[in-house]
Amino acid sequence: MTLLSARGLRKAYGRGDALVRAVDDVSLDVEPGETVAIMGPSGCGKSTLLHLLGGLDRPDAGTITLDGRQVDQLGERGLARMRRDAVGFVFQAFHLMDELTAVENVELPALLAGRSPRAARRHALELLARTGLADRARFLPSALSGGQRQRVAVARALVSDPVIVLADEPTGNLDSAATLEVLRLFDDLHAAGQTLVIVTHDSRIAATADRLITMRDGAFIDETRLTGGTSGSLARLAGLDG
Amino acid sequence: MGRPWLIARLVLRDLRHRPGQAVLMLLAITAATATLTLGLALNGVTASPYLRTQAATNGADVTASVFPSGTSGARPADLAALTPLASAAGVTAASGPFPVAFATLRADGHAVPVQAQGRDQSAAAVDQPLVTQGTWVRPGQVVLERTFARAVGVAVGGTVTLDGRPFRVAGLAVTAAVPEYPGVCYYMTCNSPAGQAEESGMGLAWLTAAGARSLATPAAPLSYVLNLRLRDPAAATAFAAAHGPVAVTGPGSPSGPALLTWQQVQDADNDLVSVAQRVLAPGSWIAIALAVASVAVLAGGRMTEQRRRVGRLKAAGGGPSLVVVILLAEHLLIALVAATAGLGAGWLVAPALSSGGTGLLGAPGLPALSPGTVGLVMAVALGVTLAATLVPAVRAARTSTVRALADAARPPRRRALLLTVSAWLPVPLLLGVRLIARRQRRAVLGAASTAVTVMGVVAVMAAHRDADVATARFNWFAGLPDPVFGRVSQVMAVLTVVLVALAAVNVIIAGWATAVDARQPSALARALGGSRGQVSAGLSVAQVLPAVPGAVLGMPLGVLLFAAANGTGQVLVPPASWLTALLLGTLTAVAVLTFIPSLMTARTAVAPLLQAETFG
Amino acid sequence: MQQEVVLAMLAKEPSHGYELRARLRQALGPVGEELNAGQVYVTLARLEKAGLVVSTAAPGVSERPDRKVYELTADGQQRVAAWLAEVDWPRPDLTEFHLKLIAAFTARLADPLAIVDAQRRELLRRLRDAQRAALAEPDTSDAALLLEGIVLRLQADLRWLEACERTWTNRRSRP
Repeated sequence: MTLLSARGLRKAYGRGDALVRAVDDVSLDVEPGETVAIMGPSGCGKSTLLHLLGGLDRPDAGTITLDGRQVDQLGERGLARMRRDAVGFVFQAFHLMDELTAVENVELPALLAGRSPRAARRHALELLARTGLADRARFLPSALSGGQRQRVAVARALVSDPVIVLADEPTGNLDSAATLEVLRLFDDLHAAGQTLVIVTHDSRIAATADRLITMRDGAFIDETRLTGGTSGSLARLAGLDG
Repeated sequence: MGRPWLIARLVLRDLRHRPGQAVLMLLAITAATATLTLGLALNGVTASPYLRTQAATNGADVTASVFPSGTSGARPADLAALTPLASAAGVTAASGPFPVAFATLRADGHAVPVQAQGRDQSAAAVDQPLVTQGTWVRPGQVVLERTFARAVGVAVGGTVTLDGRPFRVAGLAVTAAVPEYPGVCYYMTCNSPAGQAEESGMGLAWLTAAGARSLATPAAPLSYVLNLRLRDPAAATAFAAAHGPVAVTGPGSPSGPALLTWQQVQDADNDLVSVAQRVLAPGSWIAIALAVASVAVLAGGRMTEQRRRVGRLKAAGGGPSLVVVILLAEHLLIALVAATAGLGAGWLVAPALSSGGTGLLGAPGLPALSPGTVGLVMAVALGVTLAATLVPAVRAARTSTVRALADAARPPRRRALLLTVSAWLPVPLLLGVRLIARRQRRAVLGAASTAVTVMGVVAVMAAHRDADVATARFNWFAGLPDPVFGRVSQVMAVLTVVLVALAAVNVIIAGWATAVDARQPSALARALGGSRGQVSAGLSVAQVLPAVPGAVLGMPLGVLLFAAANGTGQVLVPPASWLTALLLGTLTAVAVLTFIPSLMTARTAVAPLLQAETFG
Repeated sequence: MQQEVVLAMLAKEPSHGYELRARLRQALGPVGEELNAGQVYVTLARLEKAGLVVSTAAPGVSERPDRKVYELTADGQQRVAAWLAEVDWPRPDLTEFHLKLIAAFTARLADPLAIVDAQRRELLRRLRDAQRAALAEPDTSDAALLLEGIVLRLQADLRWLEACERTWTNRRSRP
């Protein structure tokens, strides 16, 4: 059964001459455990699409079904609940609270959902251990590197055991070493069966996906399955021929 | 084009760009300066009113009166006992003896006993009452004491009857020789034929000597009064002790002049004044404190959201000094306009409160607003604005352009205890407490502002109780409204309204500033699953919660303030029901006033805020 | 197999053929798995012919190449030093692809965009494979660094392909 199903999504901004169709009649299906990457030039509407899928914004038209429930017509409360329980969001700018330690940042969605502070703390520590940051749990974000901060953000997205994790340019603010950290993490999540939708213009991140969708001017223009053999060998790639 | 012109243009453009904030700041400073003006006007005015009146009227150091005694005027007043006093040792000047008749004044449906002194049209050497409205005595016309006239409701040009005979009111005057209405007979220096009961609430009036004589009847003959000036005013008490009984004990008392010293009149007047002072002194200081605090909070709070503007200015090539000048110029301009408006508002209101009776509130002829007050108010408004904006302006100008553009304000401080505790609270309280923890200084300022307001209201409440107590002593009025209490009540009401209005403006501004500051964390909280209602409630909690200790603290402080300022050190605690109502009312008011900005922040679209890049 | 690479492997000390192969394997990781054993010995033979290397067989042991001991000559050492100082960087063949697109367009043989897309897909798959291999390597492995290099090069190539796609889309929309 499809985990996430969107049909005919539309979202536009502005009016008249300044009208921008950020999302123009987009349909998408995501299977459980799948990693889908959406690539495209800046301004093509990929972030807007993710906001629609994550309940941070409402579509002008179209339907979204998540885990069997239709969510595009939900009221404000329903969307908040969805953001809380069903969807984990990872932002390009991390958006960690500067005055909270790593573990306090991670447990925040659980506290907002009303879980007991002790249970939330325990779960948060588990997740930090899973992302390899157990020894940094009590550090403030200012004491963490970019890659570590984003990993904390990913842990935060996982604290409510979401059915799907949406990541908006997760490595946009990271250098290549930090990108590798986050990449490894996404790979681990994928191996653990987490469903991921990642918006990126980093082909390395896109390469971790099962499916890659290319977007331009608000619409999908290409879809590629990345699993499956290639025609090249590593040795040739390394220049070892001849 | 010169730099001043450039600065002016930038400032004006900036103000036009965000008119709402400028208007709010303008309103707040206007309210604050109006309050300050009022406070200063009231404060300076209750000091030693008696002495001013005495100086303005060539007041007497001692007055001597003789009365007829025996029933129905059997024994006429002994004028012979009076006249030698004019040449007694230590006397430098005298006026009189003037004839005094006791009559019944009827006006506007009231019937009041009145002491009518006969006077010459020319000025007396000692105790010439100062006419504040209209003219001095003329044949067929009467001059009334100012406070008395107000109580009876008679104006210049109106008609009153004395013992049935009509007289036109020529003018209103004030004197220092006799305690002010309703204390005319305070020292029992009256001798109304009808007896003591009628002496309470007796008024004072002046006629021509012929007019006074015409009021005398065989049954109620004339009394006489002589006004004396001594070489050594401080020796008045000794003089009075040496020359006659100080107080008369009623008809049939031993003859001999009844002498009244100026110190006794001052005490009587001050007794009346002190009631008002008990309210006005603390009230005016509270108003001043709240006004200054609100300007500081406002100006300082506005600086935090200047940083973006600073960034733009610097990115456009402005150097740090230019930036500082522009920011300061903008704030000082607003402060200048607002202070002028506030002065005007204060000037309009103050006379209504300060032009009471002579000895009570303000000496006759003093303008309500002195140049000193104007100067002080302007200096305070501009000075506090300058002080509150200089430090943040310099700091803002020094921040690196990049950080300013990224709107990286002072990073929030971390309070581990609050964070741990908040985890155990329901979600709106969790959010509210964490918002407070982020910006502690603002929460403290909010609490202080509430404390000062509550302090003021409680002091006024205590004064109200005190006025109740005080006027219990004065409840010998002939059916007329108590002018003292009435005026004092009016003043208290106005003061309370002003304090509350100022506090309300403060709360609105603080609420709006907090809401702006909390936009990003609110958006994040919503992205992580908080509902709009929870976030809005959290923002309100962040405002209301600091108000609780503020209100609770303000109550004992208000009682103490009143005790300290009322001159007697008496501690008066308003009733518990009033205090409870005040506490609940304050918290409700804060919640209501901050509801709209909180709601608006909670409703802002989440996505655009989270798209913004934040550094670090 | 680049000759200079094999020379450099002998710079430290003379070694047996099989030692040489083992060292290469260790440095290349999975990339080296596809390396034909024979390729190394062919290169060694060529180097010997060129006088950069001498081989000696241990007495009593067969003349099999993996048993022989190889050693650098003075010329060989010079060659290694010179090679180490070189900064020439092997370039990928962009020109061929670029001309491929133009040819397809002008001769109307195929849609350049389709070619670009197909190439992109292929490179993405290769990137995925290389990245997979890189992630599977332990942190201490030398090969991980090599794989990282492959990945980053592919990434750069993909960025160029994106640029090709943008350009050829615009070119197509123009009359």
